[in-house]
Amino acid sequence: MLDIFRKRRMWRKTQELKDHYDVVIIGGGSHGLATAYYLARDHGVTDVCILEKSYIGSGAAGRNTTILRSNYKTPEGARFYDASVKLYEGLSAELNFNLLFSQEGHLTLAHTDRAMFVMTERAEVNRLQGIDSKVIGPDEVARLAPAMSLEPDAVHPVMGALYHPPGGIIRHDAVVWGLARGADRGGAEIHPYREVAGIERDNGRATGVTLADGRRIGAGHVVSATAGWSSTIAGMAGLELPITTHILQAMVTEPLKPLLDIVIVSSQMHVYISQTDRGEFLIGAEIEPWTTYRQQGTLNFIQEASRHTLELFPQLERARILRSWAGLCDISPDYSPILGETEVDGFSVSAGWGTYGFKAAPIVGRTMAELVATGKTPELIQPFALERFYRDRLVSELGAAAVSH
Amino acid sequence: MSDRTGDRLSPNPRERINRGKTIEFSFDGKTVSAFEGDTIGSALHASGQRVLSRSFKYHRPRGLMCCAGQCPNCLVEVDGWPGVRACTEPVRPGMKVGHMNARPSLDFDVMRATDIFGTRFTPPGFYYKTFIRPRRLWPLYEKVLRGAAGLGVLPKRQKHREWRTEYRRRHADVLVIGGGVAGMAAALRAAEMGADVVLVDDGPELGGTQLAGEGAESAGSLADRVHASGVEVLSPGAALGFFDGIVPVWCGSTLHQIRADRHIAATGSIEQPLVFEGNDLPGVMLCAGAERLASLYGVRPGRRAVIATTTDRGLETAMALQAAGVEIAAVADSRREGNADPATKERLEDARVDLLTETTVVGAFGRRQVKGAVLAALDERGQPNPDTERGIDCDLIAVSGGTIPATSLLLQAGAKSRWDEQRGAFVPDSAPEGIHAAGAVAGHEDPAVAEASGAVAGAEAALELELGDEEDRSTLEADREALAGGRVVAAPQAVPSPMPGAGKRDKCFACLCEDVTTKDLTYSIEEGYDSIELSKRYTTVTMGPCQGRMCQLPSIRQMARDTDTPVSEVGITAARPPWSTVPMGVLAGRPFEPAKRSAVHGRHRELGGNVMWAGDWRRPYDYGDPRAETMAVHEGAGLIDVSTLGKLMVRGPDAGEFLNRLYPNRFDNLKPGRVRYGVLGDDAGRITDDGTLCRLDDDTFYVTTTSSGADAVESWFSWWLAEWELDVHLTDVSQGISAFNLAGPKAREILSGLTDLDCSNEGFAYLDGKRAHVAGVPCLMLRIGFVGELGYELHCPGPLAQELWDSLMKAGEPRGLRPFGLEPQRVLRLQKLHILVGQDTDAESNPFEAAMPWIVKLDKEEDFIGRWALENVQARGDESKLVGFTMDNGAVPQEGSVVVDGKDTAIGLVTSSRFSPLLERTIGMAWVPIDLAEDGTAIDISDEGRRMGAKVHLAPFYDPDQEKLRG
Repeated sequence: MLDIFRKRRMWRKTQELKDHYDVVIIGGGSHGLATAYYLARDHGVTDVCILEKSYIGSGAAGRNTTILRSNYKTPEGARFYDASVKLYEGLSAELNFNLLFSQEGHLTLAHTDRAMFVMTERAEVNRLQGIDSKVIGPDEVARLAPAMSLEPDAVHPVMGALYHPPGGIIRHDAVVWGLARGADRGGAEIHPYREVAGIERDNGRATGVTLADGRRIGAGHVVSATAGWSSTIAGMAGLELPITTHILQAMVTEPLKPLLDIVIVSSQMHVYISQTDRGEFLIGAEIEPWTTYRQQGTLNFIQEASRHTLELFPQLERARILRSWAGLCDISPDYSPILGETEVDGFSVSAGWGTYGFKAAPIVGRTMAELVATGKTPELIQPFALERFYRDRLVSELGAAAVSH
Repeated sequence: MSDRTGDRLSPNPRERINRGKTIEFSFDGKTVSAFEGDTIGSALHASGQRVLSRSFKYHRPRGLMCCAGQCPNCLVEVDGWPGVRACTEPVRPGMKVGHMNARPSLDFDVMRATDIFGTRFTPPGFYYKTFIRPRRLWPLYEKVLRGAAGLGVLPKRQKHREWRTEYRRRHADVLVIGGGVAGMAAALRAAEMGADVVLVDDGPELGGTQLAGEGAESAGSLADRVHASGVEVLSPGAALGFFDGIVPVWCGSTLHQIRADRHIAATGSIEQPLVFEGNDLPGVMLCAGAERLASLYGVRPGRRAVIATTTDRGLETAMALQAAGVEIAAVADSRREGNADPATKERLEDARVDLLTETTVVGAFGRRQVKGAVLAALDERGQPNPDTERGIDCDLIAVSGGTIPATSLLLQAGAKSRWDEQRGAFVPDSAPEGIHAAGAVAGHEDPAVAEASGAVAGAEAALELELGDEEDRSTLEADREALAGGRVVAAPQAVPSPMPGAGKRDKCFACLCEDVTTKDLTYSIEEGYDSIELSKRYTTVTMGPCQGRMCQLPSIRQMARDTDTPVSEVGITAARPPWSTVPMGVLAGRPFEPAKRSAVHGRHRELGGNVMWAGDWRRPYDYGDPRAETMAVHEGAGLIDVSTLGKLMVRGPDAGEFLNRLYPNRFDNLKPGRVRYGVLGDDAGRITDDGTLCRLDDDTFYVTTTSSGADAVESWFSWWLAEWELDVHLTDVSQGISAFNLAGPKAREILSGLTDLDCSNEGFAYLDGKRAHVAGVPCLMLRIGFVGELGYELHCPGPLAQELWDSLMKAGEPRGLRPFGLEPQRVLRLQKLHILVGQDTDAESNPFEAAMPWIVKLDKEEDFIGRWALENVQARGDESKLVGFTMDNGAVPQEGSVVVDGKDTAIGLVTSSRFSPLLERTIGMAWVPIDLAEDGTAIDISDEGRRMGAKVHLAPFYDPDQEKLRG
């Protein structure tokens, strides 16, 4: 037991970059690190290099609101995220690093009968996939979240909710560090502060990358896992992804004693609320409607998110906001990811993640690793191929709810 | 000196307290006396209460340190509000102050055991390494961890917000942030040159750091001039951040949103603590904090003080405290002999204060408060030499590790920062256009120089706004010269870091908020978290309530030392707003989402309407008997209030073309006086809204939208109008116009009795739109039939709506007219397979698959929104279809049930389903795959796992040939 407290390096010191790797992964976030981890674990592929332009987990992996769930609207989506939640459940033990995954449950509130209708549909699709998800009434909501105000004369009265017991929150940074350690132990090299400036192609095939400092690195396979920058990176490979990039914002309060032990989402009010193990209330909203790469928060966000939070938790009027931030989201037209091979051979993408990429990290890692190692697209991610946009075979999560957390 | 108001020094002219007036409040249930003007912190300190809080992780006692609202040490709960800074919060009679995060009491906290026994089991990130197996026990451990975390306690339940706050929007020429001498000079200069100026300061009175010192008098007279100059002063007010030009300022119950053309940051500097063993003990204070306590509140910070400093600041403090009556045991100056300002040093000698150069403090001892300090001499590398350690008895250790400019707001505004080796701090480098820095934040610490820099910034800002004259220009030149020749305050040379291995006797805190020790930082770096951003996330250093004010620089310095990297390369972490913590109640402002009610809402209540929410509206769901209401529409007549519809007037020579481009069908060929149904779509051809459009004359269309889509359609129209620049005026008349739908076989009879208009089928045909008076009320009448019977939608001015409603009800009474609500309407329209956008369609529905291919006119010559997409959909062919269905048994599947295939996979969706009293069976609408979209095809529905059989039905269930509608 006390062995746990022995100080050990999490990962090796940064090595010298080699001139060629079997696999070069662009992006040292949860997806890139997971891909490297599963490449080694499942396929013995160890000549892997992860290039990260800042520190590991500096992008979406370190800025999301840490919610995990699988109650998606489409059967394809629900199946995929269910596999992800199941991997997450075993990941702490597998990585020997406590990711602080609290499966405290997830409530999506319905404030109108039309919202109840959408919840009913989601519950039914989920149930058919074997996912624990059901519609509950206000009494049950009150039992699960006693701190919430359920006044019937509220502007947005709670008429019921979609209850998803396996959903919850996890420590996002721990996911990054645990996967980084796993990838490092598997043999992959992690290179922070290395920005990719170009992707080299030869005869329709990606052959390597060029770094911002001009250095060239050859690769058997290039994987882009860069979330907010995925369309920029794909552009370097001559590929136009149907993606727009927006900011998504979040904020936390000062730590408070426990009041809420379930994730609360209100699609209609565009707010989602959880309380972390440290006691902070973590509050997020929907993406901003304009496109930008400027990760600057807005006053409107902290005002609106506060107002909507107080509709549900009036006592939080006393809670102080400590910090707010913004991150980038790459949104695809149908709110489902773009995952797998592209028309550029040897260049695969994990993109179009919008506001739900973090939830998918382990399953993306496992399926992308399989794709890279075997050259075959796993069935689970076939519906998410880029090609679907050319054939209008969308996997639309759009109708599910405006807020997709 | 009153005993009740504690240990006070002799009165001094700078003090903020009124010794003539005593105020009582309670702290943890005990009564405390204070003077008017005291803060909670000053009053408690005077009363002998040195421990004000317990720390986050180790529950160590903490007391006053900065006395300026910067550090986390004095966070208390006031009248149920957690997280209040006692050192700046003024006392009010009867306020109830309590400690946070200590059980059973502040003086005896059992969780202190973590500090004394548990430290080796709780290294940074210990929770990542423990409680991994077995997984089923984690929720239990987690509960314990959660219970231990967190500081403040909020009510378990609260029904409504108790605090009413307001937003105020303010435009100004110049916003000055910071009311010290620099900020005041800037505001004054800009105002004198004619600018409209707002000045924000976080203190109760202008003057900043000067108020506690010798400069108080001149700062006071400057403040008087500022107040007299017409500058709007917001004080005490906290500037929360810089958001694309808007600076929110929190003052009491108001959040000012200030948009100024020019900004001047005069945010000052933040005195830095020193890092040594026990540096968090109550009694360890910042020099400025000790001075403020003595000077502003007449409170004795301690009886015997040791001062440890890296700049002249500590020397000044020694003299000030001594003058106030505090015995100075020693002054430890980390600098070499000869580096102090000679004049200051001479004054120190005159005051007979013992100055120890090349010496620093390495430890504080005492259990619950400081009993003494350990000093040590520094070696050539600037490291303390353990062999030279000696203890000195004292109850106050006043420290100063130099200052750092308070750059957060500047950085949020886009300024860059760079490491300044000479000042030993990250300083603002280039400021974005329109933003000026003045005073200490810009490196001008000396008050006279700061004032000059403020005047320069104020004048520059005003000149940029083309204010001022030649005289002002020459004044600016003079001020610039004064600034250039001003005294530069000596910067600290190397700040001594704790010697390697320090922390054996007691912890050295790099971060007080989060209880992160220097050992923790070293530990995290050795584990591999060797960049400042990673270390921050792992140890949580800088992530607490002080927002890094006290801990950012010490942690960066240590990262640099431990990784052998220059500080400039370690860099700083991002400055994230808000700059001061702020209650959500302030940010939220006043909620403004009022419930909407129609002009005849009172009538619905009187008629027993079952009023419920419908979006923002409150509408009658039914009037007690939905079945009878449904049948009344079929057999006699019904009246429903549809005032909730969105209504737009589209007027101008290009109105027809405008609508032709927006809708997939045609409107330019619609004849005046005729009505046509329209479905709005987006660029992807997806249905977004629907409604009827009536051409009133060649140039005017009256457009209705769905109730919930009214605002979105208005925005959508405005957006495209701006894009296309057509000659069209758009007026949203939704709120001013009420509408009722009179429907049923007797509708014509009822209507014709109230109007002179020819209501015969020839005179007023299906899809005609006519204007006439009904019961004396001017109306626009649309002959349409959403509910499937002969019907007239009557639109009239809101103020006359009740008269119209009453007349219709009265005239209809002998003919069986009943008011009907939303629920009967839903049944009636479902019988006709009329869609409800947003229920039967969602964000991926197109008109082809929604069974309305006839509405898409691809033969229109002009482009319209979604045309390209719809052409592609047509070429691709339908994949699914919105169809009607009937149930094999009497069951009514829930809306949201799914259509499943043989493998129990969802392949479709039930969007509407109701029992029809007229047809005496369950009818509905569902999306099904195209191969199932044939009349009579059997489909399977799964509702909460129950399977039910249904049959596809393509034609409307009622009056498929429209005879009732057209008759």
